[in-house]
Amino acid sequence: MNRQLLGSTFIMILSILLLVLVGGGLSAQIPYKPIGFVNDFAGVIDPDSAQLMEQIARSIQEKTGAQVAVVTVESIAPYPTIEEFSIELAQNWGIGRKGKDDGVLLVLAMKERKVRIEVGYGLEGAIPDSVTGRILDERVIPALKQQQWGKGLLQGLIGVGIRIAQEKGIDPKDLMIPASQIASRPKRSKEGIDLGPLIFVLIFLFIGGGRFFWPLLFISGFRTRRGRFGGGFGSGGFGSGGFSGGGGGSFGGFGGGSFGGGGSSRGF
Amino acid sequence: MEQRKMNLLIGLAILVLVFVGYGIFSVSVKNDLVRLDEQVSAAWSEIDNQLKRRADLIPNLVATVKGYATHEEEVLTKIADARSRLSGARTVEEKAAGYNELQSALSRLLVVVENYPALKANENFTRLMDELAGTENRIAVARKRYNDGVREFNTRIRTFPGSLFAGGMGFSPRPYFEIDAASREAPKVKF
Repeated sequence: MNRQLLGSTFIMILSILLLVLVGGGLSAQIPYKPIGFVNDFAGVIDPDSAQLMEQIARSIQEKTGAQVAVVTVESIAPYPTIEEFSIELAQNWGIGRKGKDDGVLLVLAMKERKVRIEVGYGLEGAIPDSVTGRILDERVIPALKQQQWGKGLLQGLIGVGIRIAQEKGIDPKDLMIPASQIASRPKRSKEGIDLGPLIFVLIFLFIGGGRFFWPLLFISGFRTRRGRFGGGFGSGGFGSGGFSGGGGGSFGGFGGGSFGGGGSSRGF
Repeated sequence: MEQRKMNLLIGLAILVLVFVGYGIFSVSVKNDLVRLDEQVSAAWSEIDNQLKRRADLIPNLVATVKGYATHEEEVLTKIADARSRLSGARTVEEKAAGYNELQSALSRLLVVVENYPALKANENFTRLMDELAGTENRIAVARKRYNDGVREFNTRIRTFPGSLFAGGMGFSPRPYFEIDAASREAPKVKF
C-alpha cells in the first residue's frame, strides 16, 4: 500500500516536472534590441534624416498612439527572406500597442538590397498592401537608387505617417511632417529640417533652462544638428552623462503589437 | 489500537490528497490541451481567411491580364480551374492541395507576364500584384503559426502526460498544412 502511494506520488511529481519542461520551449531570437524609433544598426542614415524621423515617429505616437519603427541592418542572415526577418523582428519587439496592433516597421537590408514596410494587424485597413507598394515605388525606391538611405527611409516614414494621419482624422502637419512633403510626390526641401534645433532650444529654455545649463545651450544646439534629437528632459539624462539617448526622454519601448505579414517589399 | 487507527487515518488522508492532486492535475492538462486545440483552430481560420482573400483577388487579376495578354487563354483557364477547385475544398489536406495547384498556375502566369512590358507598367496590375504578394506573405505567416501550433498540440497529445487524457477527450492529431517546395517561394514580378 505504502509503496503504491509512493509510486503514484513519484509519477505525479515527474509529470509536473515534464509539463514545466515541455512548456518552456525554445525559439530563435532576433539579435537586435530597440534603441529608439530609429534603429540604424547598419549605420547608413544621415543625422538630419535620423533626427527628423525620430521626431515624426514620436509625434505619431503622441498624437495617434501608433508606433512606427525604422530599422537598418547590414544583413538579415540567418533569415532567408526579408519578409521572415521583418515579421520576426516586428513581432519580437512588439511594435504598436497590445490589442490595437497599430505598429509599422520600415526595414532596410543593405547586403540583400531589400526594403520592406511591415504593417500591424490594426493598420491593415489604413495602409493596405497596395499603398505600401506605392509608398515604396514613389517615395522610397527613387532615393535608395541614389544611395540616399536616410532620405529614402524618411520618405517612407512620411508616406506611412500621412496614411495614419488620414485614418485618425488629423492634419499630417501635426505629425512634424514638413508641409512641403505632404503632396503625394516628394519635393526636395530643407525647411522642416532646420526647425529641429530651434524647437529643441526653445523647449530646453522653458523646461530644462536652469542657470547651470546655460553654457550647454550652444553645444546642445550644435549637437542636435549633427547627432540625434536627444537629451532626455524628463529622465535627467544630462547628469548621467549623455546626449546619446536618441530621444531617450520619450522612447519608452514598444507596446506589444502583433503582425500578420501585411505590407510590401522591394529590391533596389 | 489507537496507533492502527491513526495509521489508517493518515493513509486515508494521503489517498484523498493524491486523488485531489490527480484531479487538479488532470484538469490542468485537459485545459492545456483545449487551449492548444483552440489555438490551432484560430490559426487555421486565419489561413482560411487569407486563402479566400486571395481567391477574391484572382478574377480581377485575370481580367487585367486578359486586356494585355490576349494569347494566354491556357494559363488563365488553369488559374480559374485551380481557383474553383480551391473554393470547393473542405479539409486541410484538400485546401493545401488546392493551394499548391493555384500557386503553380500563378507562377506560370508570372513567367508569361514578362513578355508584356505594357502589362507590367500598368498601375492597376502593380497594385494587384502588391495585394497578391501581401496575401501570399500572410498565408506564409499564418501557415507557420498554424504548423507550429499543430506541432505543439500533436506532441502534447502523444507524449506523457497528455497522452493519458487525449484519447478519452476525443483529441486526435491535427494535420499540417503542407506546401510544395516549388510553391514555397511566393511568386514575384520583377519591376
